[in-house]
Amino acid sequence: MPSTRTTVERRHTGTAAATGRGPAQPARSVEATGRRLKWAMLAPALLFVALMIVFPLAFTINLSLTDAFGAVNAGHPYVGLRNFADLLSDSRRFWPAVQRTVVFTIGAVVLETVLGLALAMLLRHPFRGMRWIRTMLLIPLLTTPVAIGILWLLILDPTNGIANHLLSEAGLPRMEFLGSVGQSLPTLMLIDVWQWTPMMTLLLLAGLTTLPTEPEEAALVDGAGPWQRFRHVILPMLAPALSAALVLRAVDALKTFDILYATKGPGGGSDFEAETLNVYAYGLTFDYQEYGLAAALVALFTLVIVATVVLLRRGAGKKDA
Amino acid sequence: MTSTPVPLMNRRSVGRMALGAAAGGLLSACGSPQGPPSADTPLRIMAINHVWSQAIRRRMPEFEDRIGRRVSMSLLTADQLTSSYNVKLNASGTDVDVMMIRALQDQMLFARNRWLTDLTGRVRGDRTFDWQDFQKAPRTTSVTQGRIVSVPVVTERPVLYYRKDLAESVGGPPRTLESLMEASLRLTDRGGKRYGYVGRGQRNGAVSQWSSFLFSYGGDFSAAGRSAIATPKAVAAYRYYGDLLHKAGPPGATNMSLEQALPIFAQGKAAFFIDADAVYTSILDPKVSVVRDTVGFAPFPAGPAGARPYNIPSWSLAINKFSRLQDDAWAFIRWAAGPRMSAELQAAGIPGARSSAWRDSRTQGAFPSDLADAMRVNAERGIGHDRPQVLQVGRARDIVGRPLVAGILGEAVEPVARDADAEFSDFLVRDNRHQES
Amino acid sequence: MTATARRGRRALSWLRGATIGVVMLFFALPMVWMFAAAFKTNVQVTDPGVGLWFSPTLENFRSILHDGQVITSMGNSLLVGVVSTALSALLAVPAAWAVGRFRMHRTGSLILVARIVPAISLLVPWYYLFARLGLVGSYTVLVLSQMFVSVPLIMWIMISFFAGLPIELEEAARTDGLSAFGAFWRITLPLAAPGTATACLLAFVFSWNNFMFALVFADDRTQTVPVTLFNFISYASTDWGGLMAAATLITVPVVVAAILGQKYLVAGLTSGASKG
Repeated sequence: MPSTRTTVERRHTGTAAATGRGPAQPARSVEATGRRLKWAMLAPALLFVALMIVFPLAFTINLSLTDAFGAVNAGHPYVGLRNFADLLSDSRRFWPAVQRTVVFTIGAVVLETVLGLALAMLLRHPFRGMRWIRTMLLIPLLTTPVAIGILWLLILDPTNGIANHLLSEAGLPRMEFLGSVGQSLPTLMLIDVWQWTPMMTLLLLAGLTTLPTEPEEAALVDGAGPWQRFRHVILPMLAPALSAALVLRAVDALKTFDILYATKGPGGGSDFEAETLNVYAYGLTFDYQEYGLAAALVALFTLVIVATVVLLRRGAGKKDA
Repeated sequence: MTSTPVPLMNRRSVGRMALGAAAGGLLSACGSPQGPPSADTPLRIMAINHVWSQAIRRRMPEFEDRIGRRVSMSLLTADQLTSSYNVKLNASGTDVDVMMIRALQDQMLFARNRWLTDLTGRVRGDRTFDWQDFQKAPRTTSVTQGRIVSVPVVTERPVLYYRKDLAESVGGPPRTLESLMEASLRLTDRGGKRYGYVGRGQRNGAVSQWSSFLFSYGGDFSAAGRSAIATPKAVAAYRYYGDLLHKAGPPGATNMSLEQALPIFAQGKAAFFIDADAVYTSILDPKVSVVRDTVGFAPFPAGPAGARPYNIPSWSLAINKFSRLQDDAWAFIRWAAGPRMSAELQAAGIPGARSSAWRDSRTQGAFPSDLADAMRVNAERGIGHDRPQVLQVGRARDIVGRPLVAGILGEAVEPVARDADAEFSDFLVRDNRHQES
Repeated sequence: MTATARRGRRALSWLRGATIGVVMLFFALPMVWMFAAAFKTNVQVTDPGVGLWFSPTLENFRSILHDGQVITSMGNSLLVGVVSTALSALLAVPAAWAVGRFRMHRTGSLILVARIVPAISLLVPWYYLFARLGLVGSYTVLVLSQMFVSVPLIMWIMISFFAGLPIELEEAARTDGLSAFGAFWRITLPLAAPGTATACLLAFVFSWNNFMFALVFADDRTQTVPVTLFNFISYASTDWGGLMAAATLITVPVVVAAILGQKYLVAGLTSGASKG
């Protein structure tokens, strides 16, 4: 912390020329102060994050090039890129985990976005009981993942759960839910939707409230229907908030861990049916003590997500332009 | 006495790992607050959240008075303990002194990593501690590469939990695996939602319970360092356990660890249940179980090779090599695993590893009489391990458990067993290499 | 307006209410089940026949309050959550403004890397550093590690908000004689109040729920709620009722606090505008 503080002050008062692209401001003097201000505002956060991440990153990359096993605090010979080669040729655990990660993320995030957007639109205009609704939305978010995992295990237990009890009372066939190899991942996606749609809704609701109202009123005067107003007026204005929420949620969904581990145990269940990349990385680290391989997996995983995000952002940027 | 110096090698190697000057600069900026621990440094104990640990924690003031130092005891689940040890000891952490470990799961690896203090001198040199008083199987398990690195405090055997009211119609509790299968099938009534048998079915978690079945069929996980999981005996044991849960068990058995299996028996929805004897307190607890008046306890049934249940030290105490309170840590082990405390806890219904406690007349009445008989019989017949004895136990369990899952799902066991056997063979070669390195 | 149109609008608003109701039911029912379980014995929790009509017991709550650890942990969680969120907002909101205003999207995406890296690869290196600094077990390390999660989160959410705000307002303020920072402080920040409040709320939620950092970096005195909940899961049995009661106990006050906090945060941020 102290080091961050001093840096801020130095940045603030110092005369060192800041590099970076010029801001889109008209006057020259404004541009100069703007540039200085820009870095003064940005530096503390960037510096903090960089300070926290540089050692772990170096540590992980270094580890991924060794065959570290058992303990990392003993010397391990470097093996070059062998860990990466081993992973990429592993069709038993790695590639299925990649597939499940992608399926889980896309399935859950798409549902959450659509549902979250719909809910945000419904809740946009204040009405009686609004506070209650918002409260209810917060509860799944504030309940500790451990409790959520156990709660769903109880509800969905094939023998003793209330879900099957209600199904059979209604004359419907009983389900195995998390007990079945095939139904596990879809069930977990639904649990994720239950847990995280509220966050989507809250983010989009905040986005909607900051939108100017004039364009919509103008469209109303022009006789545009509700769908047209949504499609052609609100959605374009909401696009930045929507894409930010989508990326945020997608990144989090890619590394979902708590709920998978709490309900399916190590290795994502008996047939690895819920083993995503993060669950696999956890298993390699804490169950197998294959630190080199785990580090390679994490490095690969991080790299792929960063690339995806950059591509997504670039695509979005082009569309904006 | 044996206060460990700051592990220079570790600092050097981790330092080397820090690529580039950025990390190096950071490291040198961080002074290390080492030196002798002060009087208010607590003795830190990390333990499994187990009745044993809870009982010890209640008696802790007595020990704190004895050493004149605060004791901080964290109770965690097995997974959390493993993760915490991994993080802390990989960074040569000094903030854990006494470690409660699963000797059969962690000890070989931790000892190889040089994370555990060698206790041989302290254990052997202490006449009042009486090392020979510990049962032979747990005592053997405490030794890795000729050194005593842990002291067993809790032992476990499997027990057949059965419903007396239901078992009456099939002639009492089954004495053989064959009659267990027969009775389970007979008592299964899927329409009425009652199952003949319930037990763990999750790949990794089920392995330890399945081991007794494997031994009783005459098999083992490995023989002479080679995989033995595709031998006819092992395949028969896989097939038996798979059939039992597939035909007489509840749906979703492959997602069942103890937390799911136990409530099914406790709700009166299953006739038979085999799991560790440590679980009996839950089944007799009226807040948990509706079968407390109808439950009976029987020894593990005999298979083609007789009744060969496991008899293992499930939890042991060890000392972190990096701890700066080695003497106080040992004082804790002496106190908590000593003859007096062992007898006291066994009398409270927590089975330990000391023969003297098992013989003690006060402990006879601690358990229901049929449970006490079953435990005694099982202990006599017992085998000292319930999982493969390798470095990477977690990985071995994942491999060995695969045919088990196939069986429970009603699939053919043999091809999966052959496949797993090949994987296990490769695994053992690599694991052996690591053991020697 | 014609009568049909009015009737159509009324039907529409009724439909809207009904839809909200149904969706809310989907989100609320599991929680109802949790609250109910908090008042049940363990036998009742695992018996689906018991449902919602049963004679409630307060035994679960009694044993939790008697133990006291849950309350202590709530205090710790609250402290870590509030401090880490406040400090993170202090760092992240100005940074997000800079990124959003000056369109530094590459820098913006870079910050997301911090969010992508899985926690397991942070644990050992951090532990190594913090142990050398003698910080393990302190609140400082819990706050610092949590800030690593919160700073990118708040920044990421706020960037889009600042980018979405019209630049003209700030420019007008500048011509009125406000400094660039003054324009940000007096004009832009209040306009972004709903976003800031939401971002802070979410940062708090992530802190409240963080398990891994607390497990490894806290000691028995600084332990937070997610770790404490595991006290109800012991080796041979799980205390479902106790766990659900604890989960209820920690959820309800936080929901209330979060709502009030959000309200005052929005009000506080917005009032800055009127004063300016």
